[in-house]
Amino acid sequence: MNEVKFPSGGNVEMPDFGKALKRGAGGLRFVLLGILALILLLNSFYTINTEEVGIILRLGKYRGPETDAGPGLHFKIPLIDRVEKVPIERQLKAEFGFRTEEAAVRSRFSEETDEANMLTGDKNAAVVEWVVQYRIIDAYKYKFRVRNVDITFRDMSEAVMRRVVGDRTVNEVVTIGRGEIERQVEQELQALCDQYETGIRVDQVVLQNSAPPDPVKPAFNEVNQAEQDRDTLINEAQAQYNRVIPRAEGQASQAIEQAEGYALNRVNRSQGDAARFSSLYAEYRKAPEVTRKRLYLETMSTVLPNVGRKLVVDDSIEGLVPLLEMQQIAPAAARARTQEQGGGQ
Amino acid sequence: MKALGALAVPLIFVLAIALLQAFYIVREDQQVIITQFGKPVGQPVVEPGLKFKLPFVQKAQTFDKRFLEWQGDADELPTRDKVLIFVDVYARWRISDALLFYQRLKDERGAQSRLDDILDGETRNAIARHDLVEVIRTTNRSPEQDEATPEEEFEEIETGREAIRKEILAASQPRTSDLGIEILDVQFRRINYGDDRTKEAVYKRMISERQRIADLYRSEGQGEAQRILGEMDRELKRIESEAYREAETIRGRADAEATEIYAQAYNQSADSRQFYEFLKTMETFESTIDKETWLMLSTESDFYKFLQGSR
Repeated sequence: MNEVKFPSGGNVEMPDFGKALKRGAGGLRFVLLGILALILLLNSFYTINTEEVGIILRLGKYRGPETDAGPGLHFKIPLIDRVEKVPIERQLKAEFGFRTEEAAVRSRFSEETDEANMLTGDKNAAVVEWVVQYRIIDAYKYKFRVRNVDITFRDMSEAVMRRVVGDRTVNEVVTIGRGEIERQVEQELQALCDQYETGIRVDQVVLQNSAPPDPVKPAFNEVNQAEQDRDTLINEAQAQYNRVIPRAEGQASQAIEQAEGYALNRVNRSQGDAARFSSLYAEYRKAPEVTRKRLYLETMSTVLPNVGRKLVVDDSIEGLVPLLEMQQIAPAAARARTQEQGGGQ
Repeated sequence: MKALGALAVPLIFVLAIALLQAFYIVREDQQVIITQFGKPVGQPVVEPGLKFKLPFVQKAQTFDKRFLEWQGDADELPTRDKVLIFVDVYARWRISDALLFYQRLKDERGAQSRLDDILDGETRNAIARHDLVEVIRTTNRSPEQDEATPEEEFEEIETGREAIRKEILAASQPRTSDLGIEILDVQFRRINYGDDRTKEAVYKRMISERQRIADLYRSEGQGEAQRILGEMDRELKRIESEAYREAETIRGRADAEATEIYAQAYNQSADSRQFYEFLKTMETFESTIDKETWLMLSTESDFYKFLQGSR
């Protein structure tokens, strides 16, 4: 109603109204007209930034996308057209479970625990922080189909994320299922956006931090530690295996090689011995008696010089053994005697 | 002229106001009903644009045409299996019949309060009818496993979160139809464990679960290490014994061959056997007699005879 007031007042009424005032102040009329004209003029132009689109409502009615204004300076009928600017080219971002306090090279964040706490399908609790990047693709729907789209979009995102996380184990949420969660949330959130006619396109859902609740974290770390321990134990055993087995294999081949050596040695020697014997035997057969004697004597002549003591004993002599014992005892007895004499002095 | 002018000014003024009163604008996101002395006249105006009404007599009541918010009173509710959970529900609704809406509820504040009654109540009912797991889970999908962790399994669910949500929606919708309200969607925004005691208990369970897994890892590691060491022992024994077997076989074969060679050489005839015996005896003399040896030569001995004979 307010919008109608000015045009009708300005166009229809003002000249007559001015005439009535004319007597009182002639100059005032021009001043008032001038101000009015200026207001109308300023109201006739508007600019649309590069990332925006302008939606024109003529007397409250939207006349279709072909009337949308692109970036640049535009004219509108003052007080009749209304322009709503929507940043359709900008990528927008909504944060859940945390807020960027100050975006910089090293950004600062704060936590929103209520937003981040959720339940997993195995009735455990998890803390999930995520970001949704989206764009407005239908400015008309964005403006006129849903009141407070931004709040609605946040509500939807939270609902969808919790539904998806609720269908997963805490292990999936914290580790292996993250990519899958992102994809599913993106899909379902888009479906919900379409259902609500928000005019929003979800570009990407990014899981930031997904962790167990603080009191449980040490237990999760312990699991990781245990996993490491397990690998360490296995690796150590494997290392010992690798240290011992190849060496044993080496030793085994050494033993076999040694046996081969023994075999060669044995056979060669036996062949040598046999050859020597055969040759000797061939000669021996020509003159057995003489050869025997000669060999015997030769042996004796090499052996006898090395013998410590030689006794020649006649068979008729008896009691030879005591005699031999005396030989051994005599020196010992002599030693004993000298000791006794020494003690007497 | 002057009198006419003096009369014209208020007349034009009244006309202008009447004109303003006769027109109203319905915006793209609005709908309007016209009331005459407080009584609704005609059908709601939902088409946007410039509209006409009787000035002064009729008044335009504007309502929103868009999806509107409703935020549930987040509360701790008991599930069927007596777990206290914190449930936060939101809904989106719209004024589907502005006339009815105006008559029954007058304005949005009235609507919000009625929606509180209906939706909070239905939520409470739905939660109380189901076990906790039904409220959390949506499907009976089996969890993704990573080969390192022990197998995890979900409890079977019968209804599931989506179905419960639809239950609430289906139960609420008919209750609002005579209010000129259409509930478009109801969603669980947040579900969490309610009081601290429940949380403590859950944390405790989670910790013990993790410890179980950690213990499993450790014993797995020890078991695997033992297995490897056992395999090593077995392998070691195998290698050593095989080597022994092969070495001894080789030696045995060589010994046999040597024996055969010796036998062939020495066993040519009775004469050769004798000669061998003789030679071996001589060798034995040479290798056994040294400085420590006493040699007693009996006068009966061959050697002595030999000596006597040669004299």
